[in-house]
Amino acid sequence: MATVSEASRGTARPRRGRITSVEVLCAVLVLALLGQSWLQSVFDVPALRTASTVFVAVCVQALPFLVLGVLVSGAIAAFVPARVLERVLPRRQSAAVGVAGLSGVALPGCECASVPVARRLIGQGVAPAAALTFLLAAPAVNPVVLVATAVAFPGEPGMVLARFVASLATAMIMGWLWIRWGKLEWIAERARRRLPEVTGRGRWAAFAETARSDLVDAGGFLVLGALVSAALGVLVPGEWFGALADQIVLGVLVLAVLAVVLSLCSEADAFVAASLSALPLLPRLVFLVVGPAIDAKLFALQAGTFGRAFALRFAPVTFVVAIGCAVVAGLVFLGGAR
Amino acid sequence: MRRETQNILLLLLGGALLKISLNGDYLRYVKPSQLPWMFGAGVVLVLLAGIAAVRDVRAARRPAPDNGGEACHEHPARSAWLLLAPVLAVFLVAPPALGADSVTRAEDRQLDPAWSRKAEFPPLPPGRVVPLSLSEFASRAGWDANGTLRGRTVALTGFVVPDEKGVLLARMVIGCCAADAFPVTVRLSGGGAAGQPSDTWLRVTGQVVPGPRATGPGYVPELAVTALEPIPTPKDPYEY
Repeated sequence: MATVSEASRGTARPRRGRITSVEVLCAVLVLALLGQSWLQSVFDVPALRTASTVFVAVCVQALPFLVLGVLVSGAIAAFVPARVLERVLPRRQSAAVGVAGLSGVALPGCECASVPVARRLIGQGVAPAAALTFLLAAPAVNPVVLVATAVAFPGEPGMVLARFVASLATAMIMGWLWIRWGKLEWIAERARRRLPEVTGRGRWAAFAETARSDLVDAGGFLVLGALVSAALGVLVPGEWFGALADQIVLGVLVLAVLAVVLSLCSEADAFVAASLSALPLLPRLVFLVVGPAIDAKLFALQAGTFGRAFALRFAPVTFVVAIGCAVVAGLVFLGGAR
Repeated sequence: MRRETQNILLLLLGGALLKISLNGDYLRYVKPSQLPWMFGAGVVLVLLAGIAAVRDVRAARRPAPDNGGEACHEHPARSAWLLLAPVLAVFLVAPPALGADSVTRAEDRQLDPAWSRKAEFPPLPPGRVVPLSLSEFASRAGWDANGTLRGRTVALTGFVVPDEKGVLLARMVIGCCAADAFPVTVRLSGGGAAGQPSDTWLRVTGQVVPGPRATGPGYVPELAVTALEPIPTPKDPYEY
């Protein structure tokens, strides 16, 4: 809240003679250019080099999906009137959650794409429960992710089925929990604001402006998530990955935490899970179900888009529900904790 | 943060994406098939920033702001400052591809036997020296019952990772981006491999040292080196 009031105070003041963010940006850029060789020498330590590579990798890998997400969000805001969405989705919220979960199959992107889309759906009057179900389902049950899982685990078709069922169940259970206990005021006001309906040529302007401001809102948080995941990726000792082969409960918990920490793209996490071959299948399934539902960069994105009050409640519950769904699906489809 | 600053940041970020897609540095961070996505995202970022800037200039020229909502509404968007981090990282630091440090870090994550087992292992192509990827060599050495490597001379490319037992030739395998990379390693014996500095890229020819078949992860095959030559870091440093 402090930032909002400060910013509005800042704009109220006369601009002349005041240092604006443009000057600050220029100063930072000039300083960075002058200090380039110093910067390069600082980052020339093995651990920092690895961390900075991972940081840039997470950023450039996730940014296109965020861009795709804000374009879809802009298109919804500009070209899909709220009444069309109302007509498409079932009136009953619990049924709408089911439809939203299954429609996640249609957005073949990473988790970063679904955050701005879910936010826009809420803004356009879709029940938050349905939008949040879509948010959790889209990155985990789309065909690209399922095919990647099948490729990474040849000879284990149960893994694909278990992942699909557990992820869909996580998304729908979270939707139903929201219907029962969720409160609209947890979601920041700016995320709920409905954009005025526009017609004609104004639509394209609205499309570009919505996409741009969504990107500005979410981009910084994506970067924050990438920073955290790069730092932790270097700090978490590699031994965590092995050495857990016989402790199934500990293995499940450690891999769930690792899924959050590493913030992998949902299209690639199956290959990482496959490479953790010292571990039984069940913890690796937990890794695949938790990762797309909640991880460091997703938490940062949610906090930035829907507000901290929302993310602090939603993320821990998602974490627990995802572990539960994955364990149950693993016991059913993988035939026990192997 | 003012709209002008936001637009400059988006422009810089789009420029960073375009830069690494055009000069090929993107291969240090993601797999080749991501190129159209990254290039497209870069173009979209530049366009969105450009369109907003042009519209702002036009709106400012008009005598009275017709759209009060947009002019008065200034985003708090402090978080957008963070967008500078990848911009500076790409333009000023340009982090290199993952190397020896990542191999030692990821000791317990190795080529998965189940993944390698799916290959049928057809005979190697004819020729005096057969170039192979490190993952293919390691899979064949560890899990191939037909012994297709026996007696054949292969050429491998990778970087040097010294460890307490000698020298490893390593390559990182990525599924999507460098964040999910894991190493494949081959132990080098003889042929002047010892003493090569860490992270040197080598092209090594030699024959597999017959050993027991792999039983699980962490299996490292051995290559008896007949010749090796240092090479510049390849454009495409990862295996997929």
